[in-house]
Amino acid sequence: MSASLKRGLQAFDEVIDASVASFFSSCVHCGLCADACLFYTETGDPRYTPIYKLKPLQRYWNQHYTLGGKIASYLGLTTAVDDAELAEWQELIYNSCTLCGRCSMVCPVGNDLTAMIRKIREGMAAAGYAPEDLIAAAGRAVKIGSPMGVRLPALKAQAAHVEKDSGLEIPFDREGAEYMLLLSSMEIMNYPEYLEAVARIMKQAGKSWTLSSEAFEATNTGIQIGVSDIARTLVKRVVDAAEKLRVKTVISPECGHAYTAIRWDGPNLIGRPYPFEVLHILEVLEQFRLQGVLQLEGSESQRLTFHDPCQLVRRGGVIDPPRNLLRMVADNFVEMGDHGKMNWCCGAGGGVGANESAAELKMQAFQRKKRQISELGVDAVVTACANCRIQLEEGLEENEMDLPVLGLTELLAEHLPQREKGERG
Amino acid sequence: MKSDREKESGAIVSQREETVLQRLRRQGISRRGFLKFCTATASMMALPPTMAPAIAAALGSATRPSVIWLSFQECTGCTESLTRSHLPTVESLIFDAISLDYHHTLQAASGEAAERAREEAMARYAGEYLLLVDGSIPYGDEGIYSTIAGVSNLEMLRQGVEGAAAVIAIGTCSSFGGLPMASPNPTGAMSVNDLMQRGAIQRRPLINIPGCPPIPAVITGVIAHYLTFGTIPQLDALHRPLSFYGDTIHDRCYRRTYYDQGKFADTFDDEGARLGWCLYKLGCRGPTTYNSCATLKWNGGTSFPIQSGHGCIGCSEPGFWDAGSFYEALSMPTAAATTATRAGVGVGVAAGALSAWQNLHQRNGARTGHQEVKLDDLERG
Repeated sequence: MSASLKRGLQAFDEVIDASVASFFSSCVHCGLCADACLFYTETGDPRYTPIYKLKPLQRYWNQHYTLGGKIASYLGLTTAVDDAELAEWQELIYNSCTLCGRCSMVCPVGNDLTAMIRKIREGMAAAGYAPEDLIAAAGRAVKIGSPMGVRLPALKAQAAHVEKDSGLEIPFDREGAEYMLLLSSMEIMNYPEYLEAVARIMKQAGKSWTLSSEAFEATNTGIQIGVSDIARTLVKRVVDAAEKLRVKTVISPECGHAYTAIRWDGPNLIGRPYPFEVLHILEVLEQFRLQGVLQLEGSESQRLTFHDPCQLVRRGGVIDPPRNLLRMVADNFVEMGDHGKMNWCCGAGGGVGANESAAELKMQAFQRKKRQISELGVDAVVTACANCRIQLEEGLEENEMDLPVLGLTELLAEHLPQREKGERG
Repeated sequence: MKSDREKESGAIVSQREETVLQRLRRQGISRRGFLKFCTATASMMALPPTMAPAIAAALGSATRPSVIWLSFQECTGCTESLTRSHLPTVESLIFDAISLDYHHTLQAASGEAAERAREEAMARYAGEYLLLVDGSIPYGDEGIYSTIAGVSNLEMLRQGVEGAAAVIAIGTCSSFGGLPMASPNPTGAMSVNDLMQRGAIQRRPLINIPGCPPIPAVITGVIAHYLTFGTIPQLDALHRPLSFYGDTIHDRCYRRTYYDQGKFADTFDDEGARLGWCLYKLGCRGPTTYNSCATLKWNGGTSFPIQSGHGCIGCSEPGFWDAGSFYEALSMPTAAATTATRAGVGVGVAAGALSAWQNLHQRNGARTGHQEVKLDDLERG
């Protein structure tokens, strides 16, 4: 057995716990998870049935943790999990799963399949079967501080642009600020208007906030690739910075898995609770709305719909805030057929978007979202996740649909009363 | 001069020409009493009250149907139930009002004359008569275990069923096999339905009225239904009339509230027993027994077993003699765990514990032996 396979199987041993054992034991082979998965519905390939993607872990568990399986492998009736099997499953585990969590919602016996995909990735990564692009992204995240290779000077440059445009200060390393804002590389490079929007909203709300020059990156490649050690390193950077600056709240940006990583996985990874709160930007904006410090004017007359980021609704339960916020400015807001906790994924989450070998498949998976959007006949799609946004933009362009995709925070900022702008120089 | 035999058959004909109502009047039952009976019968059979006049009209004009009652491996308890009432009731009189052409116990004739009456009735009313059967039928060794006038029970039943319009199995023995069929069943006893199912006798519409014995009003109710509508009543899967066997004793028991409150008698002489609490723990079969004892009651509506302080023994259910002690609660196992099962459970628990320990050991070993996965480890080799 190669050293890497041994590492991978040891990782399987580490992740197999009571929940994995009960999930595998209670699966009734009904196949309902297949119809919940857009990779199956859009391709019709039964190999994309979520529970089937877990086959190597299921076989390993059966052979090493069940009486019948132990006897069967002792008698040589089963074959051990090997390199060939893991290689064959790489595509199923990384390319055709966005960790969107829809299968976990429909499982009639309550199996959290998504959590198990996250676990099987631990073994796959340790055994050397993570996709090249994700390994490279993880390398940049650990060494440079951002999976896209964005360094602090790049951020500072963008911040300077924003300061110049808006006349607002973009604070760095301000100790004792109420909020510490995290960004995703995609927002720094592709959507810098997000930073400006937050700055203007914070100004109107009268809240103190800051960026950290030591930890501004929110995305966590360790979660996507399935290496808890790397995920922990990345979470620890944020925790250390937030503790150093003594902030009350850390704001996760418009990025789905970043929110899952820092909000839910983080405390488990570092093994202790945080001394600060973690909120998604939409949760913060909802609080501002309820406090009455988010005052907006004017409204959008164009027909809008909202694409729910999976990690936000299904893994995080943030369902009502985006709707409450949208209704402040949208006269003509329509819901998609499946929305809220049963929304369909854009097709690029969970590392799929960063994985070039999945490029074709993710566009096939996008067909579901495309149909949903065309049915509504909307003028624009609003979302709250930079990753979803890139996929929506790419997908709509590829399908020759001329629709703008808007970030919710930016859309709200556009409706701040104009006099706020440039008040402070 | 007519022979004795011709005189007897002439008597049968003249009796049959009398209607049921005329016969009852002759026995001193008033028209008002008769109508009361009809109303009661309608309500017992869960028919709407408006059906009472229809029953009265039907019974009032129906000539007495020919009934042949065959008794096989039985104790005569079913007949006793019907006839040994404290006072002659309308139920017993309407039973009397049918033309009972053959019944071992009740008929005056004996010997060859008795058998001849049966054969004549069978020939004269072929296809019309009702065949009532009590007692189970020995089927083993070609049925030699019980014969009447040299004819085996099986053969007599076979002949009787041929010309019958319908068959009513009275009592648990003829309905389900009863006591004679209890393990080890030396005579190979079977119920009427068993024999019909295996083709040993012809199939005819069959009504089972189980009970050891059955409630008299149920027997007459079913006959009244047949006379009124010319059809058999609605039956359940075991051929029992739903109007009498639709609910369990338990569901209609006056002690049901105690069951719901969890108040049980633990022995027959404890405080709970004196207070009339539920007899479930003392083995009452009420929850699994379908019958009308709790509503119609016995001895002219006086009481029923549970009211007298003893649990239901489930006498009207199939296989009641082989269903274990009458004094063990239903949900208790009927047999104690054997040493082998105890040992098996012990071995299983030990194997499970060992396996669980081994699993934990493997998992924890992997966790303590965890080596940090570094970037370089993500490459194969």
